[in-house]
Amino acid sequence: MKRIIMLLSLLIFGAVSSQAMGADLESRIQTMEETLKKQQKTIEAQQKIIEELKDQIKTQIATEKPKTAVAATEPETQKPAGTTGVFGGSALSNPNISLVLNTYAYSSNLTNDELKNRGIRGYTTEGIDHKNGFNLDSAELAIYAPVDPYFNLYATIPVTEDGTTVEEAYFITTSLPQGHQIKAGKFKSNFGRLNSQHSHVWDFVDNPLPYRAFIGFGDKGIDEKGIQYTYLPPLPFYTILGVEVLQGENKTLFGADATGGPHAYTAFAKASVDVGDHATILFGPSVITGKTKTDTIAANSDFTGDTTLYGFEFTYKWKPSKYQGFKIQSEYLYRSQYGDLTDTNLGSLARLERYQDGIYIQGVYLWNRWEFGVRYDMLSILKDDYNLGGAKQDMGRRPWRATAMIDYTFSEFSLLRLQYNHGESDISGKVNHEVFLQALFSIGAHPAHQF
Amino acid sequence: MTVIIISTPAYAKLNVCATLPWIGSLASELGKDKVNIKVLVKPSQDPHFIEAKPSMILAARDADILMYNGLDLEIGYLPLLFESSRNPRIQPGQPGNFDCSRFVNVIEKQPTADRSMGDVHPLGNPHYHYSPSNILRVARGMAQELSNIDPVNGSFYRTNLASFEERLRNRQIQWGNRSLKGKRYVSYHKLFEYMANEFGFQLVGYVEPKPGIPPSAGHIERLIESMKKIRPDGILVTPSYGLDEAQALSKKTGVRVIVIPQDVGSVPGTNDWFSFMDTVLSSLQ
Repeated sequence: MKRIIMLLSLLIFGAVSSQAMGADLESRIQTMEETLKKQQKTIEAQQKIIEELKDQIKTQIATEKPKTAVAATEPETQKPAGTTGVFGGSALSNPNISLVLNTYAYSSNLTNDELKNRGIRGYTTEGIDHKNGFNLDSAELAIYAPVDPYFNLYATIPVTEDGTTVEEAYFITTSLPQGHQIKAGKFKSNFGRLNSQHSHVWDFVDNPLPYRAFIGFGDKGIDEKGIQYTYLPPLPFYTILGVEVLQGENKTLFGADATGGPHAYTAFAKASVDVGDHATILFGPSVITGKTKTDTIAANSDFTGDTTLYGFEFTYKWKPSKYQGFKIQSEYLYRSQYGDLTDTNLGSLARLERYQDGIYIQGVYLWNRWEFGVRYDMLSILKDDYNLGGAKQDMGRRPWRATAMIDYTFSEFSLLRLQYNHGESDISGKVNHEVFLQALFSIGAHPAHQF
Repeated sequence: MTVIIISTPAYAKLNVCATLPWIGSLASELGKDKVNIKVLVKPSQDPHFIEAKPSMILAARDADILMYNGLDLEIGYLPLLFESSRNPRIQPGQPGNFDCSRFVNVIEKQPTADRSMGDVHPLGNPHYHYSPSNILRVARGMAQELSNIDPVNGSFYRTNLASFEERLRNRQIQWGNRSLKGKRYVSYHKLFEYMANEFGFQLVGYVEPKPGIPPSAGHIERLIESMKKIRPDGILVTPSYGLDEAQALSKKTGVRVIVIPQDVGSVPGTNDWFSFMDTVLSSLQ
């Protein structure tokens, strides 16, 4: 009996104490849990404080950087203030370099010799520099970077089979008072619209007849050493006013030997307005004038005199989305020239006065990755006066050309273009049928193109 | 007797030029009536494919501060704007040149990138305007910079920042209550990674095989296969591009298309950043 009571009491004691222990354990676990929770909360709060401090420091550093970069007393070791690749990555040790390959297959009903000798009678003796078969226009290197907070540097160096030339190498100011800018070095003049564009930006493989007639074949254009000043006035619509003083070496317009020193001057104005949300127009007059000494006017000739070329450009662009758009562009050129033309064979000299004009108009429609373009060029529209020795010469039929093209862009960096030209620019009447298949590829960081 | 009258000049409004609509909306929250804001890109335009227009150059010419998204999103036109603007105040390195991404915790940096990978952003994913935590950081930096170039109104900007922060915190609580954790989506372009990080959902596939490269038939086939297995909660797309491909994909897989506004103002009722995020998050549910 005693044993049973002892057993029972042991059991009861065990149960009670284990309950008590359980309760004890329970409460201990509970307190532990509560402590854990509290610690968790403290950690979370501390984490928050750390995050905020991190942000504060980041903000402070980020907003202090601009001031230190501007301070003239701390130049070399300061990195440019937090710019995240505005010109693409770090341009400190490596400027932006790109290479554009422009290559095309060409076929004409004319032979290579006929092409070389196919000038435009009354305008220029310069022929067509395409060869039947495969052509390499150029592998064009474009290098650019900011020089310092005051200047940006651009260089365009086309590499061709004939050698490497400096097509453009110039600087632009970036910190003149608001609205003003100077460009100097060797650059493509901003006369007209097409002149300053590199050929890989063109909507067609070649440039139109008026440019060939008045400025020269190919994409060099008016490409001169000189200085340009432009001003963007505070008007409610975009306007650029500009003047240039140029050496004047373009051999179609002027000629390096015309006089000593710079002998070509330009003035231009361009204005632009937006038409609704998706369209823009750009238009304006340009003029270039200077002294001329050239042999490109007629065979076996030498001309000295004065030349003035007037231009008026108009562009309309509609682009509601990446995949659709329409562009129409036109330029009218009028050239007045007078001076003395020497026949180098006969040794005779006569007074030459030329007043001639030309126009091109082109339209391109974009749909997805395809573009469809047509272009019409014409010379001697309103004016075709070729006066030699006081007598008006008959230059025959009016030169004209019609072009159609279709191209496909695989990406913004690669393009394939098929183009057909029907050219009636020769007095002989022989039509020049030309077919081009062009491939344009670019690698590297190329500067964004102008509108 | 001559009387000389000295008057304190009435400070003209600060001219703020912003590239994207969300930046303009942040600037207006912080600057209110003390700033004149011009936004260059329309809410309906895709920010990847903008071409510089002369009217943008004009807007940049007059700006006291030009604010941009950074991370090379605007590389196609911004450098040209800086140079053609003929405005010394906004040149890189100047206080008037405000790169919002300076303040962002950037994800997905890809230092070794080349164009065979498509149109990648080597400096990181630039679409951080969908991320409340990063917008807060940008807002703080923006208020600081506005105070730097316009110290007279410094306390005004800081007060507006404080109220913006408070509103953001309240909204974050509301947004935190939405059950987006664990959801999975397919998206057209890599736009939503910051949001995925912050709201706990996953992106399990992309319609573009590489950024900027349209999908090939083969890629779509593989995507349909994996979508049938994974059964994501939606196909995310913005109104400006990819909508047709997304709808075609939806018909083939039964997964619904979710159209997400790409920026402030791109769909009705999203005229400030808060309502924009509200619309974005409710579209995801």
